Amino acid sequence: MKFRCERDVLIEALGTAGRAVSGRGGLPGLSGVRADLRGDRLQLTGSDLDLTITVSVTVSGEEDGVAVIPARLASDIVRALEPGAVVLSAENDELSISAGRSQFSIRLIAGDEFPQMTVLASDPVSIKSELLADALKQVVPAASSDDSRPILTGVLMAAEAGGLRLVATDSYRLSMRDVPGISVLDEGQTVLIPSRALTELNRILGQGDQVELRLGEREASFEVGGVSLVTRLIEGEFPNYRGLIPESHPNVLTVRRDDLLDALRRVKLLAREATPVRLEMSEDGLELVATTQDVGNAREQVEGTYVGNPLTVAFNPQYLLEGIEVATSEHITLSTIDELKPALVRIAELDEFLYLLMPVRVS
Amino acid sequence: MRLVIADCTVDYDGRLTAHLPRATRLIMVKADGCVAVHADGGAYKPLNWMNAPNVLTEHDDHWTVVSPKGEELLITLHRVHSDSAHDLGIDPGLQKDGVEAHLQELLSYDPEQIEQGLTLVRREFPTDIGPVDLLCRDAQGRTVAIEIKRRGEIDGVEQLTRYLDFLNRDANLAPVRGLFVAQEIKPQARTLAADRNIGTSEIDYDVLRGIERPQQRLF
Repeated sequence: MKFRCERDVLIEALGTAGRAVSGRGGLPGLSGVRADLRGDRLQLTGSDLDLTITVSVTVSGEEDGVAVIPARLASDIVRALEPGAVVLSAENDELSISAGRSQFSIRLIAGDEFPQMTVLASDPVSIKSELLADALKQVVPAASSDDSRPILTGVLMAAEAGGLRLVATDSYRLSMRDVPGISVLDEGQTVLIPSRALTELNRILGQGDQVELRLGEREASFEVGGVSLVTRLIEGEFPNYRGLIPESHPNVLTVRRDDLLDALRRVKLLAREATPVRLEMSEDGLELVATTQDVGNAREQVEGTYVGNPLTVAFNPQYLLEGIEVATSEHITLSTIDELKPALVRIAELDEFLYLLMPVRVS
Repeated sequence: MRLVIADCTVDYDGRLTAHLPRATRLIMVKADGCVAVHADGGAYKPLNWMNAPNVLTEHDDHWTVVSPKGEELLITLHRVHSDSAHDLGIDPGLQKDGVEAHLQELLSYDPEQIEQGLTLVRREFPTDIGPVDLLCRDAQGRTVAIEIKRRGEIDGVEQLTRYLDFLNRDANLAPVRGLFVAQEIKPQARTLAADRNIGTSEIDYDVLRGIERPQQRLF
C-alpha cells in the first residue's frame, strides 16, 4: 500500500476513525486503524467492537493494499509533521511515513488481528443532519455514564405519532425530543443506541446535509459525508418513561431562558460540595438561592411570570443547567407540583421537547 | 498495638535517606513489629514506616528500628505526650461480602421489599448443596426460594437453579419457584433467569437501610 495526501486531510481522517479505537486493551488489532487503499480511495477504520467508525478520503494512490497501523502513534506522528504532502507506504510489517525531510518507520499490526466489520444490508432512511444534531444535543446529555446500569447509558429511539422520539434518562432526569416527519422505525418498534455512539455521531453530523440510518437486529449504522459509524445496540428494556411524566403541574414559571441561565451560572458558584440551588417562586417572580456551609451564599432575582402557589424547590444545579442549556428558545417554562415531585422544563409553546428533573430533598 | 504521641525527629536510612524535622506525630508500633510514623492528616499513609520484621531498640531519648536488610529508622523523642498500649486481639479480617450478608439480613426482616405478600419461612434454608439465602411463602402460600447477590450475574442464576432442583425434590415444599434478587442484575443474568422461569428483582440497599438520598430519583 502506498499513497500521498495532504497532512491535514490525514490528521482529520485518523482523528475521526481513531475515536472508535479501543483504549481498553484486549485484541491487539483493536489498538490500530485499518487502512484500505483502492485506487485513490482510502478507507480508515477504527473499532472497539462496540463502535466502529470508517472514514473515506480521496488520496493520490500509488499501490493498493491493506494495513493495520498503530492508531495513536501514527496520529501523533502525522500531527507533528510540517504542513504539506505526506507519503505513507506499507511494506511487509513496516509503515513508512515521510514528509519534507522527516522520515518515520513504524511496525504495523498484523492484519488478521483486526476484527471483521459488519455491513448492514437494510434499506437506509435519510434524515436531515441538522435536525438530528439538534435533537441529539437535547437528549444525549441526560443518558447515564454509569456502566453498571447499561440500559440507562443508551438513548431510546421510538416511532411516535408518525415521527421519531428520542429519550434518555440517568434516573435523576429525563430528556425527550420528538422529531416529526421522520419514519425510521415501524410503529411500536424501539431501539436503544449507546449514547457514546450518538455523541460521536454528533461530532461528524456537520460533514453532510443528510445522514443515512440503517437498522439491523443488533446494530445500527449512520453514514454522513464520507464517514460511516456502526454501533451495537443495547439489549434490554428501557424504563417506562411515559409513566414518569406527570399529567399536570399546577405551578408554572415562565422566564427568559438566557436570564435564568446567566443567573443560575452565577449562583451556582456558591452551590458547592453537592449543595443544591433553591428556586423560590412566587407572584413576585423567581429568586435563586445557594448556600454552602462555611463558604458563603448567593442570591439573585430573575424576572418572570409565575402562576400557582408560592413554592421553594431545590435542584442539583448542574442537572438544571444542562436542561435549560438545551431548551433553546427565548422563553422557557418550569412546571412544578411540589418540592418533591418531578419538575418539567419545556420550551414555551412547543411540545416537542421536555426535560424532567427530580428535585433535591432539603430540610 | 502501642501508640505514642510525641514531638519527634525522624531519620530514615535505607533505599534512600529521608528526614522529618521536629513536629508532633503519632508513632504506631504494631504487634507484628511494623513501625509507622503518622502526621495528623493524609488518611492511611504514614510519613515513614518500616515493615515487619524489625528490631526496635528503645533508648532514653531515641528509638532505633532496624530491618534485616539494614534499613534503619532513627526516631529522636524530644517530648512524649502520650504512650499507651492496647491488645487488639486477632482481627477477623475484611468481610468482602458484608453488603451481601447485610442485604440478606435486611430482606429477611421485610421480604415484601422483594414481592408483595412474601413471608419468611427461614433464612439460610439448608439443602444438600448448601443453604439458600431465603425461603419464603408467597401470597398464595407457594414456596419461593430467593438467592440474593450484590451484583446479579449468570453465576447466581446457575446457583439458584441448582437449589431449585434440590428443593423441588422435597414433596413438602414443591413446587418451589425461584426469585433472583440483586442491587443490579446484568442483562444476561436476567435473560437466563427468564428462560428458566426464575423471577428477578432489583433492590435498593440505601432504601432498605432507611437512608434517604437528598437527590431523589425518577425511578
